[in-house]
Amino acid sequence: MAGSTIDHLVSVTVFLGAILIFISLFNQTIQTAILYQRHRYLATKCSDLLDNMLLNPGIPEDWGKSNVTPYGFGLQDPEFTQYRLSPFSLMRLISSSGEPVYYPRTGKYYSNITMGWGNFLLVSFTESVNYSTVAKLLGVNGSYGFQLKVTPLVTVSISKVSTGTPLKLAIKVAGSGFPLINAPISYCFLIIEKGDKQYPSFRVISNMTYTGATGEALVTFSDVHGENDSYALIAYAHFSGLIGVGYYNHVTVSLDEYIVPFVDSFEDKRVILAHSWAVHEPGDKTSQSELKYNATFVLLAEDFTLREMPLEGNATGSVGHVVYGQGSEKDYGVVTIPTYNPGILIVTYRKSATEYGVVLMPWGISSMAFPIVFGDDPSGKEWVATDIRQVIVGNVAYQAILALWSLEGYSVVG
Amino acid sequence: MMRTIEILLVIIIITAAFIISSFFAVLPIPRRVSPLNLRRIALTTLQMLDVDHDLSEIVFKPEDDPAWGELQIALSASLPPNIVYNLTVYEVLSTGGPELYRFIKSISNAESLGIGSDAASYLVASSNVTFNVIPEKIGESGVGGTLYILNCSDARGWWITGYTAQSLAQDLYNLLSPYFKTPIMVNNTDQFARILRGEALSGETVQNAVVINTFGEAVPIPSEYCKSPYWNNNYTYYCHFLGNMTRLYNWTWASIVGYPFYYVSNTASLKDDQNSWGIWGMNRTGQAGVTAFLQGLTNKEYSYDSGSIISDVGVVTLSSQVLENCNYYGIYPSPYQTSTRAIQKSKLSTYTNLTVGLLIFDEKSQCYPGALYNHWNGGRIEGSLLALGLTRTPDVRLTAVGLLSYYKPRLYRSEYTASNATRLVVLQLGQAGGV
Repeated sequence: MAGSTIDHLVSVTVFLGAILIFISLFNQTIQTAILYQRHRYLATKCSDLLDNMLLNPGIPEDWGKSNVTPYGFGLQDPEFTQYRLSPFSLMRLISSSGEPVYYPRTGKYYSNITMGWGNFLLVSFTESVNYSTVAKLLGVNGSYGFQLKVTPLVTVSISKVSTGTPLKLAIKVAGSGFPLINAPISYCFLIIEKGDKQYPSFRVISNMTYTGATGEALVTFSDVHGENDSYALIAYAHFSGLIGVGYYNHVTVSLDEYIVPFVDSFEDKRVILAHSWAVHEPGDKTSQSELKYNATFVLLAEDFTLREMPLEGNATGSVGHVVYGQGSEKDYGVVTIPTYNPGILIVTYRKSATEYGVVLMPWGISSMAFPIVFGDDPSGKEWVATDIRQVIVGNVAYQAILALWSLEGYSVVG
Repeated sequence: MMRTIEILLVIIIITAAFIISSFFAVLPIPRRVSPLNLRRIALTTLQMLDVDHDLSEIVFKPEDDPAWGELQIALSASLPPNIVYNLTVYEVLSTGGPELYRFIKSISNAESLGIGSDAASYLVASSNVTFNVIPEKIGESGVGGTLYILNCSDARGWWITGYTAQSLAQDLYNLLSPYFKTPIMVNNTDQFARILRGEALSGETVQNAVVINTFGEAVPIPSEYCKSPYWNNNYTYYCHFLGNMTRLYNWTWASIVGYPFYYVSNTASLKDDQNSWGIWGMNRTGQAGVTAFLQGLTNKEYSYDSGSIISDVGVVTLSSQVLENCNYYGIYPSPYQTSTRAIQKSKLSTYTNLTVGLLIFDEKSQCYPGALYNHWNGGRIEGSLLALGLTRTPDVRLTAVGLLSYYKPRLYRSEYTASNATRLVVLQLGQAGGV
């Protein structure tokens, strides 16, 4: 009787122990399978969401060219089909890569897509579309987080490789880690003309060259002093359907006084030209400073030359001056871009007879191949699915990369 | 002891079950869990390479052309470094044999595309191929075929705000001249008077012509009609006369916008008259004009009636027949328009031999916002009126698509006979490295 009882007790104990072990083992397998399923679902969702963004222009279709907040989100260029994106819709997305800039004279914050000194793209927050609005419009608010990167596929980097005269600039063209050999490069060199003119102007030298075996080309400007002159170079590389843009600019002295262009209104195509000291108010500058500017808008023609388009008539015109530190003087200049075709706003400015400078601002991100990073930061997230599409923005080749992650957790114990 | 042995057996069975289920429940490799959509990347890469038709040009070049090398560089530059590819070009054969495609060339950056790959195909046409459409000419195989577009320099328009009659006439000429045997611009009211007398301007057939009045609510009047009896009741009689001529010559009279025959215009003979809105050279006929025209068209005696026959019906929609023809002829006006001058059905009931030959816009509120009306005499048509009772400004594409929908000229699309004209490009992508 006792042996039977012991047998019973031992067997039940062993059985319960074994059951617990097996439940744990099966649970591990099931949890892993569920995680795999959820990750796969996330990848599918990522692909669908990316197509959803890129294959519809949004509602209203021309929201990129107006000040309205869209009530349907999409980035496709309404004048085209397939994966061609609007350079203006992308401009209206609040960049998550640059620190916002506050301009006290307008009392507004500006989304900062600036690519290094002298190549500005600052868009008023009130004209821009923020991440939470887009997440709501896409129906993923609270359930998924995302980051959209639209980056140029062809990198055109320019560097100065000389001192004094002549000026030599090296242009390097590369794809995704792969140099483009024998790629034609059309470039436009803008040199600021010094002289007694009240407002500075520039002349353009357009030419063409080819990259060598390393994907590099060297351009030389014999009458330009690399340090004492102010100039800018815009280079377009075009190769078997791929188009990339690069830019470089230099000013006479290391002025901390320069013109900062702000996109104030998409609908009115209005751009504010501010004095750089005023942007940092309340700053440490106590002295007065005046900059005279000359604004020019250029379009890229089909033969990759720049064509000037007259700026629309307005109160200030394309020339003017901005003053810092004198209350009665003009706060900022205003220019009106004449078109919704992508182009470049070139602002030359002059402080004194020897101090000149130039800043560039793309009108439509494609004209200077600016990248856009929009959305939340994916770093530190548990599982991030990504997907890629090759897209065209204003004829320039870009890559759109969407990173997507779940905000709801996975509800599994691992 | 038996119980313990039984439990051990149970444990063995469950262990076996776990091992077997683990063996069969193979979890996918990590790359398959969160895959890149390689098919989409391949398609968008091909589209991007062909954005300026570079791809279309290269794939038709000889196999030893250096452009293939450029294509390979562009492919390598545009794809992420961990993506391997194979691009294959096939010629699409049109010989009707069992073989549909013939291999032309393949370029790749790896011997193998790994354990998983995906592909997208893209069809390109040679730049040497042209597609041509030849329209059938109205009147080519029968009567008529003359298109008169009133382009009179000595008349003024109304309700064509933002345009001139001359610019509208040119647009209509561009749209419709390929479809008519003899398109003619009527450049002044003297020429208009000649066709009203049945005289040809340049050897064309006046009978069975289409006459488009581009002057909106006004209609040009030749000087010789600026007299009695045509000026009776503010030129209402002239409108009756036009209706008579339309019936007599079996014309199709087209009014492009607004209230037809509301004004008459001649800048010389009516230079001292104005249309009550300050436009000189114009006389206001009023609502009686269209009624008088319909009387003339339907062979009724002239009887002055200044009553309105129109209604404001708001937004109207193109009829399904016309919408279909928009696709056929490739003319795409907005299918939604606003009609403030729709003709009331009830007012047309007095003209028993007048029927609707084509509804351009769907009927709304017992009115016809836009329609083509036929006058029947026995078994044949004698005169028609196309009236678009839309609000200004006019979209002449509606007139064009209305006339084409009524006459239905066929479009002969050229046969696709060029050989070696199409190639199929297949881009297959795989991921290199890892699992």
